[in-house]
Amino acid sequence: MVIGRGGAQETEPDKNVVARALELTKVYGEGETRVTALDDVSVDFERGRMTAIMGPSGSGKSTLMHCMAALDRPTSGQVVIDGVPVNGLRDKALTRLRRDRVGFVFQAYNLVPTLTAAENITLPLDIAGRDVDRAWYDLIVETVGLGDRLSHRPSELSGGQQQRVACARALVSRPAIVFADEPTGNLDSAASFEILDFLGRCVDEFGQSIVMVTHEPSAAAYADRVLFLADGRIVDEMVDPTAEKVLERMKGFDGRARRSAGSSTPLPVTEATVGTLDAGRRTV
Amino acid sequence: MLRLTLKGVRGHLGRFLLTLSAVTLGIAFVAGSFVLTDSLQSTFDDLIESMAEGVDVTVRSDRDANVTSDAAQPRLPLDLERSLAGVDGVTRAVPDLQGVAVLAGKDGTAVRAGGAPSIGYAYFPDDPAIELLDGRAPQGPNEVAVLTSTLDRARLAVGDTTTALIGSTPRTVTIVGEVSFDGPTAGATLTLLDRESATKAFSPDGLVPSFSVTAAPGVSPETLRDRLGAVLPAGAEAVTTKDAAEEMRKEIEDALGFVTTFLLVFAGISLFVGAFIIFNTFTMLVGQRTRELALLRAIGALRAQVLRMVLGEALVIGLIGAGLGLGLGVGLAGGLQGMLQSFGMEASGDLPVETRTVIISLVVGMLVTTISAAIPAARASRAAPVEGLRDDIVVTPKGVRVRGVIGLVKAAAGVAVLAVGLRDGTEWLLVGAGAILIVLGVLVAAPLATRPVVRLVAAPFVLLTGVVGRLARENSLRNPRRTAATATALTIGLTLMAGLSVIAESTKASVADIVANEVTADFVLESGGMVPIPPAVATEVERMTGVTAVAAISQVDLSMDGTDVWAASADPEDITSTVRVTMRSGSLRSLDDGRVLVNETLAEDNGWTLGSTVPTKVGVLDSRPLTIGGIFKDSQLVGEALVPQPLYEEAVPLPNRGSVAMLITAKDGADLAAMRADLAALVKPFLVVSVQTGEEFVDGEAAEVNQILTILYVLLALSIVIAVLGIINTLALSVLERTREIGLLRAVGLARGQLFRMITIESVATALFGAVLGAVLGLGLGIVLQRGLVEDGLEVLSIPWSQLSIVVAGAAVAGIVAAVLPAWRAVRLDVLRAVTTE
Repeated sequence: MVIGRGGAQETEPDKNVVARALELTKVYGEGETRVTALDDVSVDFERGRMTAIMGPSGSGKSTLMHCMAALDRPTSGQVVIDGVPVNGLRDKALTRLRRDRVGFVFQAYNLVPTLTAAENITLPLDIAGRDVDRAWYDLIVETVGLGDRLSHRPSELSGGQQQRVACARALVSRPAIVFADEPTGNLDSAASFEILDFLGRCVDEFGQSIVMVTHEPSAAAYADRVLFLADGRIVDEMVDPTAEKVLERMKGFDGRARRSAGSSTPLPVTEATVGTLDAGRRTV
Repeated sequence: MLRLTLKGVRGHLGRFLLTLSAVTLGIAFVAGSFVLTDSLQSTFDDLIESMAEGVDVTVRSDRDANVTSDAAQPRLPLDLERSLAGVDGVTRAVPDLQGVAVLAGKDGTAVRAGGAPSIGYAYFPDDPAIELLDGRAPQGPNEVAVLTSTLDRARLAVGDTTTALIGSTPRTVTIVGEVSFDGPTAGATLTLLDRESATKAFSPDGLVPSFSVTAAPGVSPETLRDRLGAVLPAGAEAVTTKDAAEEMRKEIEDALGFVTTFLLVFAGISLFVGAFIIFNTFTMLVGQRTRELALLRAIGALRAQVLRMVLGEALVIGLIGAGLGLGLGVGLAGGLQGMLQSFGMEASGDLPVETRTVIISLVVGMLVTTISAAIPAARASRAAPVEGLRDDIVVTPKGVRVRGVIGLVKAAAGVAVLAVGLRDGTEWLLVGAGAILIVLGVLVAAPLATRPVVRLVAAPFVLLTGVVGRLARENSLRNPRRTAATATALTIGLTLMAGLSVIAESTKASVADIVANEVTADFVLESGGMVPIPPAVATEVERMTGVTAVAAISQVDLSMDGTDVWAASADPEDITSTVRVTMRSGSLRSLDDGRVLVNETLAEDNGWTLGSTVPTKVGVLDSRPLTIGGIFKDSQLVGEALVPQPLYEEAVPLPNRGSVAMLITAKDGADLAAMRADLAALVKPFLVVSVQTGEEFVDGEAAEVNQILTILYVLLALSIVIAVLGIINTLALSVLERTREIGLLRAVGLARGQLFRMITIESVATALFGAVLGAVLGLGLGIVLQRGLVEDGLEVLSIPWSQLSIVVAGAAVAGIVAAVLPAWRAVRLDVLRAVTTE
């Protein structure tokens, strides 16, 4: 199947859905080490809204996002991005899909250190060989507030500034959907606020669709809708969340998670010390 | 700690592999050089041994230390044989009747192999070294017995008739016997005549170079030597064959020593280049393992322990690489030996691996590796425990400026030394030291040049591929030191290539220029190999219609006031009409008065002027005072000095007489084409003589430079192979370092093809940086050297632009080749795993 930019294969008539997961299952490993990271997940992400994915560690939230963003292939099930079914796409088509319809923001910023902030922002367009829409670019840069730092390299920027550059990069090609993987995970609260505020404005002012994985209730509060994952399934969702409501909901999961992980009782100090020494001796 | 070291090597074996190959290649060259020379030496030892078989004492004239060539040594009268045979304890005493004997093969051309001589001997049925395998002994001037290997090469067999040049007489001969020679011949052809014919051909003046004497059972060679010594006339001496062989062995060892030195220079270059790769690898490995090393420090490893661990890794790599290199070196020597064999040089099959070879290889391998790893190891030991916790390892290209300044200072010092070396005559030691200083200085300062040069060479790619090219360029500039170190191999290789090619091309142009100016002759007869053109040819050419002048240029062993001089002899009148000799003072005619002519350089160097009287030793004659009758402008054709023809004839024994070249001028309006055909027909029986027009001769002289150049280029190509390894190494490691970045680029839409291209361009930019730097440096050095050598005859500067651009283009191709593996690896990275990697 060849997917053109024009999207001749677009099958979704539902204009309100920007990305859709259908009976998505992802299994890692085999036999005894078999782990089901996603277990028959079906979900729609609405256009022009911010959806947060929450859940305890190992709940499958990152796997869901990676599959939705066409970075990972599900074991079974369907992913449709902006009307394009992702299954069976070859690397070239996948690359083009990511390039033209998807934007990414990572926890670790992932900027190219040899390029200036401005060059990092326009990188997806440069790679695609497309012209930069100046008005749009200026608007993003202004919104994200980087005006005087554009000619700096990433190493000369603070973490918050680097993440703002990453956000601007995700938006510059007008993707159908932006995936943000714990975008504030490495930032202090002030910088976090700036990033979340910016993402929120993108949804409100530009109608950008955003999917954000986070474990911070305060971040999830910026979303229009929160999905809660546990053990590879969507166990709950919340519309118009607040930090308090999310925190309350999460406490339930945390308790359950702790109970189910019974073996993680801390080891006695002596044993732990011996273990470390053992490990040390093994490498010495 | 030792276990950790070994684990470190095993754990990073993949990354060490390229370092290993760099060490292996360098050591292979070192070991191969030794093995090959040892093998050659043993071939010659066998040869000498077999020549001495059955011969206990050699009687010869007193060696003249001033005369280097054997042929020009004084000779002994044939009738000495009778008095030698009469000495008590002698069972056999025969003259060594030996001279030139060239056979025509089945295809009508001379049977020759490489530069090995074509030897004629007298056949003695009781000769212990020669055995008749087939047919019978030769009888009369037209019968020969021939060595099996010579027959094979000639595609002739017993019973065939062919033409031969024996002594100076061409003749038709029948092969009546096939003989074996006990021992290797090193490619020489061997033709045997009966004693009487051999005497006529090789000893027309009744003189021979030496006699071989065999002792009766029970008489020691030493006793026999002393007894013979008592009956010998003045000027003759007896030496035991053992001593004579030892003398010869020393001479050959000296000659082979040059070959070893030559090969070792290239081994040294490759090791030097390899050292940069090793340095680079360890720097990067240590960079990557900062966390691991910091952890070690955190759990209590001492700095010295970390230092020892990294150095230990280097030592292990060096040892393994040297071991592999030793094996590869033996193979390399075998290959080279095979190549020599295909050129007709019969070497003995064994490849001796002396203890010395093993020790040197292992020690050099370990030293080079540990020294190269010393700085990275020291850096590793400084890793603070806290660095283990840091997320990103920031490589700052600090110190580039400081290094640049140091390098430039060094280079400037080199320029100064070079300038002093070139002032007032050439001090080669200073010139060499200056050149090496400049190269080292530039290598040290190279990181400073990365930005401008990489920007320049990458410009076309940036234009063509936009952001892909820009990313690639910035990647090359990310760490200027690393880029420069990676490119070092190419820089050195290209410096040598460019410098040599400028010198060679200028030499070619200068030779052509000089020769073209000098030669006024219409035809030049030249002899191939070591066989001079027999004087008989000149007589016949003179008789041809349309020929106005024939100048037979003969080489003479000449020593003036103790200095060996390359001298020639020819009739002054003939010279005037075939060669343009410009007289600075005196006259060519003074040769007729028995005076000697010298060139300007020789006169200046020795302070001789017109009319100076210089004690001169010509050929086998005793030293005598000769007056300088003229000084001529340095010439390519007639050598440093010209001696009168009669003196030459007096000084050189008839069998050794012959010309190195014969210049012929035709009458105006003569039919040159017809004349050429006539000349070709005339020289055909002489087998080794070729006819060329004046222009062809000029081109041919220049082309000789090319042969030497080709060998040098082949050896230097090795540095390009090592360079490719180095680039692969650096790229592979930097792909590893940049996994997350590559993942990001792929995530935001960089297609696999684009990624492949990016890494290829990065590689090509690095390669071109090294190549351009080296080419410019080599070009500069070459031009400076040429300018300095104008006085010494290198008058024309000629820059081989096309060759240089081919070599630079070759470097770019090397870059493309080097990128394949790392790029393939990068392309195959899983996007998700790459982008989320730590």
